[in-house]
Amino acid sequence: MTDGGMIKGGYLGNILHIGLTEKKFWLEEVSEDFALKYIGGRGFGAKIVMDNLHEGMDPLGPENILVIAPGVLSGLYVPAAGKTSFVSISPLTGIYADSNMGGMFGVEIRQAGYDALVIHGRAPEFSYIWIDDDQVQIRDASKYRGKMSTSTERELKEDLQDEEIKVATIGPAGENLVRFACVNSEWSRNAGRTGMGAILGSKNIKAIAVRGTKDLPTYDLDKLVKISDRAYETLNGHPMMKFWQEEGLMSVIDYANTLGIIPTRNFSDAHFEYADRINGEVMTSRYKIGDSACYSCPMACGNICLVKSGKYAGTVTEGPEYESAAMLGSNVGINDFSAVLRGNYLCDELGMDTISSGSLVATVIEGYERGLLSLEDVDGIALSWGDDSSIMMLLEKIANREGIGDVLAEGAKGVIEKFPHLEPLISHVKGMDQSAYDGRVGVTMALAYSTSDIGAHHARAWTIAKELEVGANWTLEEKIDLVIYHQTVRPLFDMLGVCRLPWIELGFDENTYAEFYTAATGVEVTLDDLLEKSKNIYNLTRAINMRMGVTRTDDHPPERTFNDPIKTGPHAGEHMDRNLFEQLLEIYYQRRGWDKDGRPSEEQLHECGVL
Amino acid sequence: MKQVASTSSDFSRLRVLTIVPERCSGCRTCEIVCSIHNYKVSNPKKARIRLLSLYPHPVIKMPIVCRQCKVPKCMDSCPSGAIYIEKGLVRIDETKCVGCHACVVSCPFGAIYVHADMIAPFKCELCGGDPQCVKACPMNAILYVPEHTLGQSKRLIETLKYAHLKEMEYFEHGVEKKLSYAEIETGGLREKEKKAKSEAES
Repeated sequence: MTDGGMIKGGYLGNILHIGLTEKKFWLEEVSEDFALKYIGGRGFGAKIVMDNLHEGMDPLGPENILVIAPGVLSGLYVPAAGKTSFVSISPLTGIYADSNMGGMFGVEIRQAGYDALVIHGRAPEFSYIWIDDDQVQIRDASKYRGKMSTSTERELKEDLQDEEIKVATIGPAGENLVRFACVNSEWSRNAGRTGMGAILGSKNIKAIAVRGTKDLPTYDLDKLVKISDRAYETLNGHPMMKFWQEEGLMSVIDYANTLGIIPTRNFSDAHFEYADRINGEVMTSRYKIGDSACYSCPMACGNICLVKSGKYAGTVTEGPEYESAAMLGSNVGINDFSAVLRGNYLCDELGMDTISSGSLVATVIEGYERGLLSLEDVDGIALSWGDDSSIMMLLEKIANREGIGDVLAEGAKGVIEKFPHLEPLISHVKGMDQSAYDGRVGVTMALAYSTSDIGAHHARAWTIAKELEVGANWTLEEKIDLVIYHQTVRPLFDMLGVCRLPWIELGFDENTYAEFYTAATGVEVTLDDLLEKSKNIYNLTRAINMRMGVTRTDDHPPERTFNDPIKTGPHAGEHMDRNLFEQLLEIYYQRRGWDKDGRPSEEQLHECGVL
Repeated sequence: MKQVASTSSDFSRLRVLTIVPERCSGCRTCEIVCSIHNYKVSNPKKARIRLLSLYPHPVIKMPIVCRQCKVPKCMDSCPSGAIYIEKGLVRIDETKCVGCHACVVSCPFGAIYVHADMIAPFKCELCGGDPQCVKACPMNAILYVPEHTLGQSKRLIETLKYAHLKEMEYFEHGVEKKLSYAEIETGGLREKEKKAKSEAES
């Protein structure tokens, strides 16, 4: 970036490329055009992945790249500015993928002087990457092989003799190329979805350790402090704040159960009769021993829990939050919170996504219960809903790729290939397992899952609350616009490297982020300007997906959404109508300015830098 | 009404920082505001209060900051006389400091920090009587209190513990009985009895 340009701060100006195959490192200067157009974080990642795209490439092959990009606000004095995006082509879905983690890892990368890391190739030996400000090394990691995520981090800190370094690791699942393996940092910050851990595993990389000590450039620090002081004051004074610190996302269990959208027994139902045994109240009264927060976040939604008695006594884990508690709780029929904690602990330490794990385990249980799988198929484990011992066994089998676990480790698509008759039971879009909000209630959630650029993930557009609370009588167009608005505003948080929770949960004004961006970089923008750029990123990721073979037929919710009505709860009997959905999709494409097959227009492609 | 002077700068009673690790969420907001206030940069690695976070066994998140010792080890160990006490505050004179880091390793709490950009180590100097970390901490885990109140929470616990041990005597149908305070909370029943009762009821 040159002096005298529009950008006067915020960016470090360098992207660090790490070529593992030939042990080569090089810096790429971030041009002003690039920075202004793609903002940072997920935006940078999407563009770099686009530029590296080879049709028909194997996501787990050396030709795939992994971009690790914190945002331009990461590490600054801004509420909840600790998000880092991991961007690549997913081994789970074969299309564009990103996943983000909170914590301090991204802040450390920025302090080391990089706006992003790009990892190419494959290391000839099992290694870890050590970034010490300007020094980069690929080091032997054979002694960490097979170690759990947190023990690896602990040992690396001891071996590198610094407690303040930040480490991202993969667990055994990542090493074994489980297609939904996650990247773990600081015990329980996970880039959970889309299998980023498997990508690191395929590159023969066990961990990335970073030490950064540099100042983060800020254009107008005084102004940033002023805006932030106000922001913290608003957040800290929010009437819901105490409750948030207390229960965090676990409060959603009761909320989702009351609304009738909680995944129950492999999404066969949307109301769990034992929800009051796995909810936030149970957690706070019997298990919680402390709070945990990501960088600069006052909300502290993380809950540290300890199981004090019973067969899982001694299990200590951070979390679960709603998704994990629902997918490893109600969705597999578990009604004992200590078992939920154990599942969460195993997934974190083995390094697997809790959502995909919960969904696939539930599929197998349902398959077995219905007689679609034989006892032999499931390795002689008599599975049943809520049988926590066998569920824990399945989780370990997945990570170690043993027996049935080897099939599940291939993700939804792999399971369908091996057991085609299970297809109607698996709730996935484009190979990615559906998150813990039922798509049959209302219309927006099914559309959000179907049109999400990474597959059925709730964080792309979490519209269900608004639709049920205030949007019941809205027209279809209004509902679709809500989905599009979410899909536009949410990437922005990932691009800036901040968390979306202050906005979605405490109603924090999103316009403030434009002010933050201006104060950090010196570039005058409004929220609308930023949203315009965010829209471009969505078109860009859509273009990537089209190149990877996504068509309109892939933009459909799981089969269950159409033909298996909800059984109990306030929405009993509801399901999505096929014709209605086609109509929704039609209008959605129109309002996005895409053609009938969901292809962005030529103008849009020019705008986002594809053509 | 008579005004009482109470702004922190001219408040003469000595106050110190104290940490409640159980409340800390590990968000490091204290670090970033510290670096901004003292060095006008966004750099948690230049903060004078620094979080150490251990997990999973034991789980502890603890900001570490200078306690302004009355007989500072750091001052003792300084070979150039750069460390001095001013109004109860332990300070480092950067012009005298030779950068030997003797103070850093001699501090029993590890509360003196080093950064490659600076010759002299740095430590908390209470932001001139208005510590920014205290204001910024969303969990209220950093307290700025008069030094004589330190330890009061422990004394309170000790007192309550004693109260729990205490028994009182009373008569029921002419029979003398004893009840300890601890049992009042469970309705006069011991834990076991209570459990048996609730099981019988259900």
